This record gives sequence, C-alpha cells and structure tokens, in this order.
Amino acid sequence: MPLDTSIYPLALLRLDGRRWNELRRIHAQVSVQAAADGSSYLEMGNTRVICVVLGPAEGKDKGQRGAREGEAKVGVEIAVAGFSGMERRRRVGNKRTSEMQHCLSTAFSSLLFTHLYPHSTISISIHILSQDGSLLAACLNAATLALIDAGIPMSDYLTACTVASSASSSSSDTATSDPLLDLNGLEEQELPFLTIGAVGEKVSVLMLETRVRMERVEGMLAVGVEGCKRVRAILDGVVRTYEKKFG
Amino acid sequence: MEYFSLKRSSALDQGQTNLSSKVYVRSTKSGKVQKIVRELYLRRDIPCSSSLCRACLEIAPTDYSKKVAPFVLSDTPAGSKNFPNGQYLVPDTNAFLTGMDLFEVETAFHDVVVLQTVLEEVKNQSLPLYHRLIALTKNEGKRFYVFFNEFRQETYVIRNAGETINDRNDRAVRKAVLWYNHHLSEAVAARSKKQQRIPSVVMITDDRDNLQKAKSDGIPALSLSEFVSGLENADELLDMISAAQERREVRSSKAEVFYPEYFTMSKMMTGVKAGTLHQGIFNVSPYNYLEGSIHVPAFDKSLLILGRENSNRAVSGDVVVVEVLPKDQWKAPSTKIIEEETLNKNDNPEVEDGEDVISERERRALQEEVKRVHGQSAEGRPQPTARVVGIIKRNWRQYVGHIDRDSVRSTSKSSRQQQMVFLVPMDKRIPKIRIRTRQAGELLGQRVLATIDSWERDSRYPVGHFVRSLGELESKGAETEALLLEWDVQYRPFPKIVLDCLPPEGHEWKVPASLDDPGWRGRKDLRDLLVCSIDPPGCVDIDDALHARKLPNGNFEVGVHIADVSHFVKPNNAMDKEASQRGTTVYLVDKRIDMLPMLLGTDLCSLKPYVERYAFTVLWEITTNADIVSVDFTKSVIRSREAFSYEQAQIRIDDESQQDGLTNGMRTLMMLSKKLRQKRYDAGALNLASPEVKVQTESETSDPVDVQTKRLLDTNSLVEEFMLLANISVAGKNYEAFPQTALLRRHGAPPKTNFEELGNQLKVKKGLEIRTDSSKALADSLDTCVDHKEPFFNTLVRIMATRCMMSAEYFCAGSQAYPEFRHYGLASEIYTHFTSPIRRYADLEAHRQLAAAIDYEPLDPSLHSKAKLEGICKNINMRHRNAQMAGRASIEYYVGQALKGKDIKEEGFIMKIFSNGFVVFVPRFGVESLIRLRDLATPEPEAEFDAENYVLKVKGDINRSVELFEKVTVRITDEIEESTGKRKVKLTLV
Repeated sequence: MPLDTSIYPLALLRLDGRRWNELRRIHAQVSVQAAADGSSYLEMGNTRVICVVLGPAEGKDKGQRGAREGEAKVGVEIAVAGFSGMERRRRVGNKRTSEMQHCLSTAFSSLLFTHLYPHSTISISIHILSQDGSLLAACLNAATLALIDAGIPMSDYLTACTVASSASSSSSDTATSDPLLDLNGLEEQELPFLTIGAVGEKVSVLMLETRVRMERVEGMLAVGVEGCKRVRAILDGVVRTYEKKFG
Repeated sequence: MEYFSLKRSSALDQGQTNLSSKVYVRSTKSGKVQKIVRELYLRRDIPCSSSLCRACLEIAPTDYSKKVAPFVLSDTPAGSKNFPNGQYLVPDTNAFLTGMDLFEVETAFHDVVVLQTVLEEVKNQSLPLYHRLIALTKNEGKRFYVFFNEFRQETYVIRNAGETINDRNDRAVRKAVLWYNHHLSEAVAARSKKQQRIPSVVMITDDRDNLQKAKSDGIPALSLSEFVSGLENADELLDMISAAQERREVRSSKAEVFYPEYFTMSKMMTGVKAGTLHQGIFNVSPYNYLEGSIHVPAFDKSLLILGRENSNRAVSGDVVVVEVLPKDQWKAPSTKIIEEETLNKNDNPEVEDGEDVISERERRALQEEVKRVHGQSAEGRPQPTARVVGIIKRNWRQYVGHIDRDSVRSTSKSSRQQQMVFLVPMDKRIPKIRIRTRQAGELLGQRVLATIDSWERDSRYPVGHFVRSLGELESKGAETEALLLEWDVQYRPFPKIVLDCLPPEGHEWKVPASLDDPGWRGRKDLRDLLVCSIDPPGCVDIDDALHARKLPNGNFEVGVHIADVSHFVKPNNAMDKEASQRGTTVYLVDKRIDMLPMLLGTDLCSLKPYVERYAFTVLWEITTNADIVSVDFTKSVIRSREAFSYEQAQIRIDDESQQDGLTNGMRTLMMLSKKLRQKRYDAGALNLASPEVKVQTESETSDPVDVQTKRLLDTNSLVEEFMLLANISVAGKNYEAFPQTALLRRHGAPPKTNFEELGNQLKVKKGLEIRTDSSKALADSLDTCVDHKEPFFNTLVRIMATRCMMSAEYFCAGSQAYPEFRHYGLASEIYTHFTSPIRRYADLEAHRQLAAAIDYEPLDPSLHSKAKLEGICKNINMRHRNAQMAGRASIEYYVGQALKGKDIKEEGFIMKIFSNGFVVFVPRFGVESLIRLRDLATPEPEAEFDAENYVLKVKGDINRSVELFEKVTVRITDEIEESTGKRKVKLTLV
C-alpha cells in the first residue's frame, strides 16, 4: 500500500515528488506521420497520445451533417489502445471517448477558421497509447499541435491542463487546500479535479465531473489558466524548433 | 528519417537527471498481475527541517498561499550518553512497529526524522500504527519530521538487480542518515566558523545486518534497546518495547507447539463462501473462560467453542473463522463456573515447555463436564460445537489489569532483573498476558496498562508489553482511569484546537438584544412563555425545558424546548469532530466526562433559568384527551422561569396553594403525560426494570457514604413522556425530509430463543407463562408474573426479561426497511434521539437534519452521505454501550468502597443457578454476586444439581437446597477479588 494523497500537507509534496504548481514533463513532436496532413506526438508524464489530422478535404457525405452552413466540419475520432491502461482491455471507451470526441470537436470548431473551408471536413484522429491522468488535456494539446502542423488557420493555441483541490471535500479548513496542477492517474482517482482548456487568457474548455466545494473553484481556475499558459509556452517552443529544422 | 522516430532522445530532455520512474508489480484481488509504472520527480529543494540549517530555509517550498512550513527539528536536541552533542533519531520501520508506544512517550524521543521509506513500510505493515505515526508528526511538542528521502536526488536509491526490497529500503535509510549527517555538519559550518556542537543523526534499527553495514559505513546507529538504555528512565521505557520482535528470534529453536496452525486466508475465504466454515465474532462467557460462543449468520443459535485448544488463540472480540466439529464431539454449554485463577494458579510465566496446552486441572474440569453431560439423557442437550481455524481480524486493544503476585520471582523493588510476569486483565474474558519487565517489584499492587503483541502457536498465553502504570490498586484515580480505559472513553482534556471553536465571548455570550441580529434569523421569540426545566438535583447541563398553556379553543399548546447546540457546534469543525468521536457524555459516580466543552454544556447551551437561551422547539396542539392535533418545529429564543429538581417540581405540583401560571402549566403537563403514558402502554410499550442505585458521596472528598436505590416520582415520567413524544415527532419529520439519511433509533424485537430459558424457568418454578409474540403480549404477560407473597418478584422478572432484550441502536434510515424501524420497547413505529444534544452526538445530528427539514439552514454535505452516517452510527452505538458499561462499573466500584469493612445481612434472590454455585441478586444495593459451593464450606461440599428443576441440593454439613427465584438472606461483606484486583461485594449464605 503506497502512500496516498493525504500526505500532501506533510511536506507539500505530491505522490510523484512534484510541488503543487509543477507540470509533469511534457515532450512533444510534430510531423511524426509523413502521410498525414498534420500530425503530432505528445507525452505529458506517462500519458502518451498520437494525433493525426486529415484535411481540410471534401466531406464524404454531401449533406455535411453536424456542421453549420458554409463552414468546415470538424470530425474527431479517438481510439484507445487496449494496452494503454493498467489492465489490458479489448474494447476500451465508448461513452467516455464519445464524450471526449464531442468536447474536442466543439472546442476546435469554434477555434479554427472553419468558414474558410465550406463543404469540407477536417478530421482529427487521436490514438491514446498510454494513460496516466489528464487524458482530455493531452488530447487537446496534441490536436492543437497536429492542426498547426497541418497549417489550418486558427487564432491561437488551445492548450489544456488539469487542476485538483488537494484536501478532500469533507475537511472544512481551507488553509490546507492547495490547488494541484496537472494530475497523474493516481491523483485523478483520489481528488476532485477539473480539466481546463484556454485560448490565451480565455477559457474555452472546462470540464468538472466531481464535486468540489464552491470556494475552492476560483483558486483552481486561476492555477489552471496559469498552467495552460505554461503549456502553451512549451508547445510553442516545440513548434518553433520544428520550424527551424524544416522551415 | 529522423522525424519519424517516436523514441525519446535524451538530448531533447536536456539531460534531465531528475526524472526517474518507479516500476512495480502487484497482483489484484482477482489474481491478475498488474505492472505499474509511476513517474518520480527527484528534486533538491526538500528541506532538512533542522533549525540549525539556513540553506534549507531558503529553498523551502511554499504552498498556494505563499506560506512556508515552519522548521521542526530543534537546534539543541537532547543528547545521550553516546551522543553528547545531541541527536536526531532516524528509526527504521521495525523500530516503529515494535516501539510505537515508546515513541509516544511525552518525555523522551524528541527530534525524530521519519523517512518516507519508513512511513510507506509502516503503512504497508499496519494501518493503525501508521495513523499513530501520522498523529505524532502533527504533535508539535514531539518534533517529528517526515523527510521525503525518496524524492530528494541525493538520497534516492535505485534498487539493484537481485536486491530484495527490504535490503533496498535499508540501504535507502542508511543513505538518508549519511546525507543528513553530512548536511548538518555543512550547515553548522556555514553558520559560524567556530567549532560548534553538531548533533548526530542516529539510525535506530534492530536489524543486526543493517547495524553492521551502518557501522562499516561510519553511520551512527544503535538498536532500539541500546538507545533506550542510554536514557534516564530506561527501565520503564525498556518494558515498552514490543516483545513480539525479540521472541520471534528465540522461538525458532524451540519446536514444541501448543496450538494447531491456522488455515490460510484463501482456504478460509473459500470455506466461508462454500458454507463449510463460518465467520463471526468470538465471545467468551463471563462465567467460564474456557467457554466461548460465536454467532454466525448461518444459524439462529450461537455455536459453542469449548476449551483452549478449540478456541485456538482467539481473544474475546476477535473476528474468527470456525469449523463445526463432528457430532460426537458436541457438548452442552457449561453449567459450571470455571475461573482461570483457580485452575492455573501455578503456571509459571517463564517456563513454557514441558507443559501441555491444557493443564492437568483444566483437563479434569473438562472431564467432569463431559461426564455430567453424558449422564443426562435429556434430548438435545449437546449443542453444536465448533473450533477456531483462523483469525480474520484481531481486535486487540490495550488492557488494564494487575500483575499476578505469584508470577513474580523476586519482589524486591531494587531488583532490576528482567523477568517474565503475568498480567491479569480486569476483563475476565481476556487471558493472562505474559509480560517481560524489569520493574516487577514496583508494578505489584498497581493498575497497569498493557497490550498484547502476539500469540504464537508455541506459547500458552499471549505475549504483550507494558504500556504504563495508572497508580495504586483501589485508589480512586487509578480505578477511574482504569475503567475509562477499559471502556475506551476519551477522557483527556479538550485540545486547544477544539476550544478555539468556542464563541470568543466565553461566558459573556448573550442572546443578541437586537432582533435584526443574524442570530435571530428564522427564530421565534418565545421569551414570554412560562417555561421551566425539571431535572435530577444538581444537574448543570440542562438539555430540555417545557411549557404548556391553554388555547382559546380548549386544547392545549405544549412546547418542548431543547438546547440549540447545533447553533454553536458547526459541522466538521474540530469541536464537532471531537464530539462525534466521543459520541456521548459519560456519567460516573463522581465525575462527568463531557462530550462538549464545559462552556457550552453547562452554560451557553444549557437552558439555565432566568436567562435567555437559544432553543430548538417542538410545539404541539394537544386535546384534553392527549390526542395530537398538530405539531410544529422551530428554532426559538426562550427564557426559563425556573429549574426544578424532580422532587421540587413534585412538591410544587402537589401544593394546592400554588396557583400561579407556571405551576398550573406543570399540572397540565402532568395530566397530559399520564394520558400519554397510558396510551403508550395500551399500544404495547414495555415497562422494564434495571437495578438502579445511587451512591451518596461526601461532597468534598467524594468518598462514598451510602447506597440507595433510586426513587421514581411522577415528575420523572412527566419529563420522560414529553421527551419521547418529541423524539417520535422529530423522527417522523426527519424521515419525511430525508428518507435515505435520517438518523433514527430502533429497537429490534428479541428473537424467541432469547426468552426460551426465562420462559422455561418461570414455567417450572412458578407455573407462569411468558408470551413473546408481540411487545404487547410480553408487556401483558409480564404484568401477570406476580407472586403475592413477594412483591419484588415482579421486578426481578422484569430485570431478567430486560437482559433477554436486544439493545437499541442508532441507524441510518436508508439502511433498513421501514418495518425494521420499529422501537420494540417503546412500541413506536419510528424513533430518534433529539432531546439531549448536550450529551449525545446522535441528538446533535438529528438537530441538524431537523433544521434542514424546516428550511432553517442547508444540510451539511456530511449528513447527505449515507456511508458517513453509517460510520457515525457505528461509532455512537459503540460509545453509548461503553458509556453505560463504564457508568455501571463506576457504581460497582463505589458500592464496593461504600461497603468496605461493613458486615450487613440483607435479603436477596437467586437469579441463576449452576452446578457448583449460584448468583444472588440483592435489590437493596443493586448488586449481584456469585456464591460458589466452595465458599459455603471447606472442603467443597458435594452437591446434586437438578438442571431441569433448577434446584441445587447441597449435601454434607450444610445440607440444604437452593432453587431459582428463592428468597435468601445473605451476609454482605467485601473482599478484593483476586482475579481482577477489584474490591467487590462478597455474599455468603446465611
């Protein structure tokens, strides 16, 4: 029985040795898949995803269901590898992945300049190779990179991260409740957390599925937006080194 | 092409050496194996937390609010013989596992560094010890610091190939100690150039191999006992090291085994699942320490577990798995009293081998039993008998007892020789505990607290260690503390963090004068009502007050006003947590152990007369026939006009000349309460009896002076009736508002088997019948149990019937079906506790739920959670029972003291009869005691026991027969019971 998140107040250290405001190691590459229009590979700690973008291309079905008139449709497909979790599973995801697909699709539909590509489809497919928390955030970040790689115009990076509230919701003293940035899988299971995606200072994705005390949310949001900024800087760095190499 | 590669190049990471990963394999419940990979971020900014070090202060981490945790370890730590410059201790895992009691001693063991490696291992090995360790780190005075060595780059250790996890962890501990020493000398050097005293960082371990390696690496290291012997009060402390560790090593050489081996966990689990084995809680009979019973869900009646071998090292209270023995080994429950001290007086704690698990005398006692059983041809006598095959969970706690004088080899106080002695627990169901001590001479004649460490197969008795001495036997302080410990009552003063939750005004707090104050929001102003309280004399925590007045329509308005404790105790603060832990106020003869701090209980919440107080009020409209027209609940402000004692109130009601509003209100209440009471009895409520006595003490010294049986006045039942009514009304309202989570109280109908014996006894002896089909039937049949010659007989039967009942319990509405809510004794469909929030936690929770139900304030989330409430119920049920037990034990002690040196003749009744003794109950003092045949004459007279007719014919010189329910005259003297060291009433037949 390893220690759990209740040890945080003892030394302000998290289960993997990070402080409250530290991101995990982020490693990213773009153009990893030559055949695609855009692609990226992203690691946030032990969460690993690969993202491939095709398009904008003419949509299969004429009607362009799901997209507004005169705009491109953003289709998202997420596949979870059977070996990605702790236990091997044959069919992973269903409701969870379709929810994430929907979330990504709405987020990017409003971010990308879809009006430039009427009657066409931009399809994003994401493969989750390894899961260790902050899955939705990793997908959002990887998709942003792949879309940039594909050269699809957008206003700014959409970057995302997760934030948790360290004390359990029952204890009432707010003194010991630091918001924790960028959760790993273990922390996600034990703490209430939210996923936040930001374009610049503006929040564009916000997902909260657990119960958190009202007064804690503000702090969590502030830390989250700050975290997104830092992710943005890292991703920006990745894009620029790539630009130097190949541009 | 390079950019196709997904491989991570270390160049891209800028050579991050601070990232490592932890890989381990674990198997799940279903037997699958999982490989788990975790990241580990190594860092250099984990402070050493020594006040000597400045460098660490600069890098110390801040939390979200930019605060830095204060440094814990003292700059001038205590020294010892070996380390005159002072030392920081770094115990390894085993040191904590064996010596946790030592580390908790207030006077020694300061400045301790708890390594993360050790903390994790402790958690793996024992959760309770882990929690105690965490509590220690929070105790500021003790200066315990958790150092996360696994996250600090310099102290992180990678497991080598082929290295066991234990070796790796030992190495991690050594490395951390080495680093600490190095770091501290640097820190001191940086502070001043002059040579200063540098504290040593000492590893504490009992692992010989580890010690050796430390020595060769030049790391200061000591074994726990070595270290302790360097301290001042070494002898006392040395005894507290858990014996388990040491014994294990010596053990291996010995081969003799007393007890059968336990089954493996998986074998037990499959057996339980398949229904061939059974799981339950092991209980030992208070009359016969060799007879245990276990109630398992598969059978209605309890299974019997006879003899030491069959109970196989189970201690009363353990959760065990049993196997039913073949039918030819079934036995009848004992009709004989068997006490440990009479049989095993001469056991020598030092000698283990050469003796069987069943001593010769024990065997003889059992043989006689068997013969007796076989001699009786009566059918169905032998009962299903089982044996323990494994233990699921030990429920060992700390036990209070005294050292057996006979087991002490040398009683001289100066002798410092270590010897093995027996501790005889106060609780007769617990076996003697072998303890190794150097202070045997001093501990004789003292109340001693000890724990059990282990019970190996090759040891007849469990092995434990000394925790602390409570004081002289029979001294008031020691005995009171002993019974508080024995019943697990929290009696320490409230910590500061709890007292900080009190209103800052203290005793000056008043109901705000202005009606616009937020305190008045939602409160009714009931200050003009003629409210009064009626309580036992000298009561200071007044929970309840009453009023009644006539309404214009001829009906009455009756109000029950309960102290508004929930206004002061907010959910989930420190005070609330403490109260929920304590669960109830415990009343001892001379002492009250409060659930809430004095300020609230006896002043701010207490509905004292002549002052305004917040209250939670239940208002009814009641007709003259005591039918309820309507009920209303509201928070209010009241002003009690008078605080009566039961007697004062009775006198005032009876005094015709008093015609004021208050007295007339009480008369109305009295009239209504009598009608309510009748209605309740008509519905089948039981009138049970328990022997209640009151000990009168001298006011100054609280030495007991006299014992009296409690008198019941009409005013007692007046208050009781309205409290019951309030509880029932509130229960209904709470259940309506929170059908899943309302906290209620139920009293299950007793199973028929409980009354079998009593029914049979009454039938055989008195030709009476007891019917148990419903509470009404039982109440009626109890009424018919009268012996015209003996007015007390009815009460005696009621006392015995009470013992056949189930005990009432708190529960959470969602956990039972509605028909199960019934309160059998009160014959009410639904019931809760609402009327004593100062002294019971359940009532406080009911207040919060009711406040939410009437939309006064929102319900705290903790009261929404069924799981949490069930936890609370479990705790308060246990605390409630313990409080009762402690109260009874206290009375028992004082009755013993009051009768000290007296010699009185009194009437008594025979309540229970065995083949070698009988139990006599003396109503005058509320005591019951065993009279054994061997107490009648020496040598023990022969006797013939007729179990079917409950007659014991004593032969020989005495030549008389005693039977159940017989009235006898007994001589009451007192003696010190050898087995428990308690002063007890001794009865002898006249």
